[in-house]
Amino acid sequence: MSENHSHKDIEQQVSEQQKEQEVQKSPSGLRIFWREILKDKLALISLIFFVLVSMIVFGISLILDLDEVVKIDPFAIHQPPSDEFLLGTDKGGRDVFGQLIIGTRNSLAIGFLVTLISGAFGIIFGVVSGYFGGHIDNFLMRIVDFFMVLPFIMIIIVFVTIVPRYSVWTFSLIMSAFIWMGIARLIRSKALQERELDYAQASRTLGSSHTSIIFKQVLPNITSLVVVTMTLNLAANIGIESGLSFLGFGLPEDTPSLGTLMSYATNPTTLEERWWIWAPAAALILVLMLAVRNVGEALKRAADARQRRA
Amino acid sequence: MTLLKVEDLKVHFPIRGGILNRKIDAIRAVDGVNFEIEPGETYGLVGESGSGKTTTGKAVMGLNNITNGEIYFGDELLNKGNKVNIRKDIQMIFQDPYSSLNPRKRVIDIIAEPLRNYENLSKDEEKKRVKDLLEKVGLTAESMLKYPHEFSGGQRQRIGVARAIALEPKLIIMDEPVSALDVSVQAQVLNFMQDLQKELNLTYLFISHDLSVVKHMCDRIGIMYNGRYVEEGTTKEIFNDPQHIYTKRLVAAIPDIDPKNRKENTNFREQVKEEYTNSYYDYFDEDGLAYQLKPITDTHRVALPERG
Repeated sequence: MSENHSHKDIEQQVSEQQKEQEVQKSPSGLRIFWREILKDKLALISLIFFVLVSMIVFGISLILDLDEVVKIDPFAIHQPPSDEFLLGTDKGGRDVFGQLIIGTRNSLAIGFLVTLISGAFGIIFGVVSGYFGGHIDNFLMRIVDFFMVLPFIMIIIVFVTIVPRYSVWTFSLIMSAFIWMGIARLIRSKALQERELDYAQASRTLGSSHTSIIFKQVLPNITSLVVVTMTLNLAANIGIESGLSFLGFGLPEDTPSLGTLMSYATNPTTLEERWWIWAPAAALILVLMLAVRNVGEALKRAADARQRRA
Repeated sequence: MTLLKVEDLKVHFPIRGGILNRKIDAIRAVDGVNFEIEPGETYGLVGESGSGKTTTGKAVMGLNNITNGEIYFGDELLNKGNKVNIRKDIQMIFQDPYSSLNPRKRVIDIIAEPLRNYENLSKDEEKKRVKDLLEKVGLTAESMLKYPHEFSGGQRQRIGVARAIALEPKLIIMDEPVSALDVSVQAQVLNFMQDLQKELNLTYLFISHDLSVVKHMCDRIGIMYNGRYVEEGTTKEIFNDPQHIYTKRLVAAIPDIDPKNRKENTNFREQVKEEYTNSYYDYFDEDGLAYQLKPITDTHRVALPERG
C-alpha cells in the first residue's frame, strides 16, 4: 500500500518536473543583455545616468534658443557663475551653461550619427566580404587596408578646412568615412565563420538568394557582436569628436560641442582662473564615455556565455 | 529512365602557393566518377572520410563548383546552379542537425523558407503547409513557434527532413543523415525515412560511411576510395560477393554482435588484412588510385586493372 503511494508520488513529481521544463524557455538575446546589465550594478547606474543625461540635454535644448546662447554680449565677458549665468560666461559673453547643454547634445548626436553611419556601412561591407569570400573578399579587404593606411586625422583636418560651412551632419559624414573599417573587419571575420555552417548552405539549396541569406540568415546570427561593437564604438566616437573640436578642427564656435568648450582651456588664463568654462565639459566627456563603456562591457560579457555573470 | 546521371564528374580544389598565389597543384577530391540513379531507388555512396563522397553529393546539389564532367537530372543538364526550377526537385539533408538549422529562426521560418522562395502562399496557407509537414515527420503543430535548440538531435533532423520535402522534390541527397545521432535514434529516423520514401515516391542518394546502415537502407551501392569508384553493385552483390580488395576489407570490418564468433571474425579480418597488404598493388595503380570500372555482371562493376 505504502509502496503504491510512493510510486504515485514519484510519478507526480516527474510530471511536475516535466511541466517546469516545458515552461522554462531559454531567454532571448535581448533578455540576456538586460539580465547582465541588471546584475552589473555599475553598468546599470551607467545606463540610467546616460539615459538621464541624454533626456535632459535633448529636452532642454528643445526650449533653449541657439541664437540666444551663441549671441556675443560684450558687457558680460568672462563672468563667473551667478544666478543669471549658471556656469558663467566665456570670452564672447556667451552663457556657458547653455553652450554645455547644446554642446552635449551636439557631441552625443555626432557620436550616435557616426556610430550609426559607420556601423551600417561597415556591417554591410564586412558581411558581404565575409559571406562571399574568395576574390571578392580579397578585393574588399584591400580597400579596407587602403583606408586604414590613410592618416585619417590629417585628412579630416584638410576636409574641414576645405568645406566652408559644416554642421553636425557633414561632420558626422566626414568622420564616418574614416572610421567604418574596424567594424567591417570584425564583422567579416565572423561572417567567414558563419558562411561555413550548414544552415547557410542549406538556405542555398532551398533556393534563397545571396542577398536574403546575408540579411535574413547570417546577419541575425551576428547581431550580438554588432550590438556590442556599436556600443563600444559610441564611447570612442564621442571622444574622437571632442578631441578634434578641441584641436580646432571640429565644429565651429557657433555650433558648440563639448570639444569647443574644452578648447577654451588652451588659453592659460582660462585654464587657471576660469574653470567654469571647461571643467564641466571635461567632466561630462569623461563620465559619458565611461558610462557608455561600462554598458558596452556588460553587453560584451552577455554576448559570451562563458563571461556572463548573470 | 534514369533520374540522375553523373558522367565523369571531377571536383578539384586548387592548392595555391608560390609567387602571386598561382595554382601549383590540386586536391582531386572527386576524380572521374560515373553513376546513375533510377527513380524510386536508394543509392548508397560509401567510403572512408576524405574519399570524396560528400563532395560528390554537394556537386550534384550545386554547392561545389564542378571542374569537369556532366550531371544530368532527367534529360536536363545541371551546371552551376542556374536552373532554378530543377534545383527545386533536388533537396539535401545535412549531416549535422545542429548547424544545419539556423539557431535564430523559429521552426515555422525554417520550414517555410523554401515555400517562401518558390511558392506564393498567404500566411494562413503557409501555416497549414508547415503544420502538415510537421505532422508528416512526426512532430506536433505546437513545435512551429519553437527554436531549434529546444529540440533533441533526432527531432532536429526531422525538422531538416520536413524542410527538404516541403517542395516535394524528386531526389533527396542525404549526407550522413544519421551519423550525428544516437544509435537508438538512428534506426527510428532511418525507418521513418524509408516510410516517407514509399509515401512520397522519393529517390535517395544516401551518403554514409556506416555499412550496416547502408545495408539496411540501400538498393544499390557505390564504394569510393580517394575520389574514385572501386566497386558498384546491388546491395546483395556488394555484401555477399565483394570483388575488390578494398570492398572486402570494408565488409569484413562490419561488427558482429554475437560474441561466439569473435575469434572466427578476428581471424577472418587478419586474413583479409594480409590479403589487402599483399595485393594492394594489384588493385591500385602507382598513385594509390583505383583503376577504371569493369563490368562483371549487368549491375556489378569493379575497378580492376587490365590483365594480360
